[in-house]
Amino acid sequence: MSTTETLPTGHEVVATPVRRRGGVLSALRWELRKLRAQYRARAVLLGALLMPIVVVVVIQGQSRPPKDTLLGRFATENGFALALLVLGFASQWVLPLLTAIVAGDIFASEDQHGTWKTVLTRSTSRGRLFWAKTLTAAGFAALVLLVLAVSTIASSLLIVGHQPLIGLSGQTIPTAEALRLVAASWATMLPPMLGFTCLAILLSVWSRNPAVGIAAPVVIGMVMQLVGALGGVEAIRPFLLSTPFEAWHGLLTQPRFTGPLVEGLLTSGAWCAGSLAIAFVLLRHRDITGG
Amino acid sequence: MTDVLAVDAVGVTKTFGAVRAVDDISVRVKAGEVYGVLGPNGAGKTTFLRMLFGLIRPDSGTIEVFGRTWDEAGVGVLDGVAGFIESPKFYPYLTGRQNLEGLALLDGGVRPGLLDEVLDLVEMTERADQKVGGYSYGMRQRLGVAASLLREPRLLVLDEPANGLDPAGIRDMRALVKRLAASGLTVLLSSHHMDEVEEICDNVTIMRRGSVAFHGSIADLRAMAPDPGHRMVTSDDDRAVALAARHPAVSVVRDPDPDGRPALAVTGPQRQVSGYVASIVQADVELLELTPTQTPLEALFFMLTDDETEMEGAR
Amino acid sequence: MRRTIITILTALVVVLGLGTAVIAANGGDSSTVTRARLERSLPTTFANLYVTQAALQGRTGITAASVHPQAMCDKAGAVGKDIGPGGDWVCLMSWTDPEVPMPPEGYGKFELNVHSNDCYTASGPSKLTGFLTMTDSKGREVTNPVFEFDGCFDPHGDNAATGVVFPSLLNATSTTVTPDPQGRASIQVTCGTGDQGCAGTVAVTAGGTDLGTVPYDLQEESTGTVVAPKRLPAGAKEVTFTVRPTTGVGPTSPVVLPVQPAG
Repeated sequence: MSTTETLPTGHEVVATPVRRRGGVLSALRWELRKLRAQYRARAVLLGALLMPIVVVVVIQGQSRPPKDTLLGRFATENGFALALLVLGFASQWVLPLLTAIVAGDIFASEDQHGTWKTVLTRSTSRGRLFWAKTLTAAGFAALVLLVLAVSTIASSLLIVGHQPLIGLSGQTIPTAEALRLVAASWATMLPPMLGFTCLAILLSVWSRNPAVGIAAPVVIGMVMQLVGALGGVEAIRPFLLSTPFEAWHGLLTQPRFTGPLVEGLLTSGAWCAGSLAIAFVLLRHRDITGG
Repeated sequence: MTDVLAVDAVGVTKTFGAVRAVDDISVRVKAGEVYGVLGPNGAGKTTFLRMLFGLIRPDSGTIEVFGRTWDEAGVGVLDGVAGFIESPKFYPYLTGRQNLEGLALLDGGVRPGLLDEVLDLVEMTERADQKVGGYSYGMRQRLGVAASLLREPRLLVLDEPANGLDPAGIRDMRALVKRLAASGLTVLLSSHHMDEVEEICDNVTIMRRGSVAFHGSIADLRAMAPDPGHRMVTSDDDRAVALAARHPAVSVVRDPDPDGRPALAVTGPQRQVSGYVASIVQADVELLELTPTQTPLEALFFMLTDDETEMEGAR
Repeated sequence: MRRTIITILTALVVVLGLGTAVIAANGGDSSTVTRARLERSLPTTFANLYVTQAALQGRTGITAASVHPQAMCDKAGAVGKDIGPGGDWVCLMSWTDPEVPMPPEGYGKFELNVHSNDCYTASGPSKLTGFLTMTDSKGREVTNPVFEFDGCFDPHGDNAATGVVFPSLLNATSTTVTPDPQGRASIQVTCGTGDQGCAGTVAVTAGGTDLGTVPYDLQEESTGTVVAPKRLPAGAKEVTFTVRPTTGVGPTSPVVLPVQPAG
């Protein structure tokens, strides 16, 4: 069965069959393949593509614009304002939910299916699996955001129109500039959304329960929104993961301000790094007794 | 072949809360042998195998696999090792083949054609393109063996491979393990059935409540075994009991069935039992039934693992 | 299930704990919503929108620079600190438009709902800025951009005081005079948002009779009653109150109220 060889030290050992070990890339390919086969991932993407169209049509059909939301008063007559209205709405709980559906499940589903032992008895370390799953969840978050943004902006402009936009300093923003700013505003959702992705990963690793991994980040996000909207406790606003979702306001004023964007990047990064560090340690030291 | 042990576990202990799941276990598996870890459910067999695979960290003790430990080699310890713990688990929303392809990815790829070979070996080729969610227990068990063989291991670890299978499945699984063992593979098998281990293994460790109750070869175990027991039904039990007086090495006790049919329990060395039976037949008592109730090793196994009995392991 | 509850509770405790710690460290007065930032942001936003409104009306020659608005903001009257989000912000704003002269006090009053995210909704005085919809130069009904509008400001923006102050406006709120049991005439007055509150004297006359002169001194956003020292003569039909403010501004012409006989 086995061949023998003599090592320079003189010890006779059984030759290890040349086994390439799966790197992060192999593990990543495997995670992507599993994700593609999952109904829920496809459903989320399809939802991100179609839901904005429905929302845009419904809002456009309203006789009174939703004035109580920022830019809402122009939403029925200006496509850019509507795209930003949907953005404000999405950032309240839709974006955390969309990313948590995959990120909150990606670790806990191994517990659900009892497959930790299946993958951990192969030649891939826990660390590599961790990074493969994290990259998969982050990539999915970015993809969902892209689909949602493109669908929202395109349907808003096609259905409502692309008149010049009145900005948050009352200034009139010409169409081309408005499109750029609206797209940039959607892009600023990525850091906090990735922050929620990391949080969902932590909860997924910790709870070992997909339901918690998916629901808890949404609940936590909504609590943060609530706390952030309270007067008197504004000192904690910069530390909340929901605050960076509002940093785009600065892009639509004149002069522009980017302080909140930079702070949001730092806040999101800190949440992400903290969550991933705890999740990594938990996973590394865990005894896999189930499955 | 070589003096490097396939598995060299020394003084391994693992405690979960207040429960000492594995208590100072040492197991040495030589390359090329078929080794059994035997014990009733809850004896700590599975916890030990999980530690072997690095799924659980031992509290103390060391486990070397082909001379390497987790501390030095990390996941590299598993080079050349494959198997499954308890019932093998797969992703139900993927087909059997997709599951194997994915696991091959995690292994860094396999040689072309191997996937079909292992599917063929476990007779799963026809069902390979169906989703695992629809597989029966036995099919998953066979896919588990295929997934292990995909690693072309030198050490195959099988945890209760026949567990939950129907009689035909058990027969097929045992035949498969025998075939694999015959090919020179080192096999570490856990079971709670003495007959399974007796049939296949060279050496065994019998575990009881996390500790070693016996450690040695099947031959050593046989030497320790008590006399075999039989259940006998005759046309005249009174005569049969009376005749037993002439065979002091044989014990004959009335032992009616649970439903009240009269029967005798006959225990003694095989040769003496044969003589006794011959004497019954010569005395014109009709022998209606004679069946072995417990193999000697089974009897020994129950003695070793029974909580009331304390026995020193040989060696 | 237990794990689920523990997870959520822990997260809440962490968030609340962090919050308490930060508030304790900052003394709770660290809001980015401040008077100075509103006093800079509101006029900018208003000017831009005013130009848009003028353009809709087909007017030319109105630019953000020519409108030159100035604002003084105040939260919750004289008592409250001028910091923090809330629906109780009031901004007094003056601007220049030859076709829309400012009232005698020199400003219009805007009510603001300011959110903790540094954005606000302002609604203007409709006498000066118009109603929800307006007719544009082509005769269409369009949304009036300055009736109600949103704006956001930089939370790190300039926070130095702007120095813009406007006087409080004293207003009579009574519409009739009802003599009290002693037969004296009185009038209820309100001091609006403004710099120093309202102080001065009110001279009260009925027909040709001088009923005396009464001093008043009110904080901003408060209400008081001015009572004439002398009895109202029998048969008086009207009472005239002439306000002479020393601090703040008051009605430019005397307030004449009809007498409502008691009982």
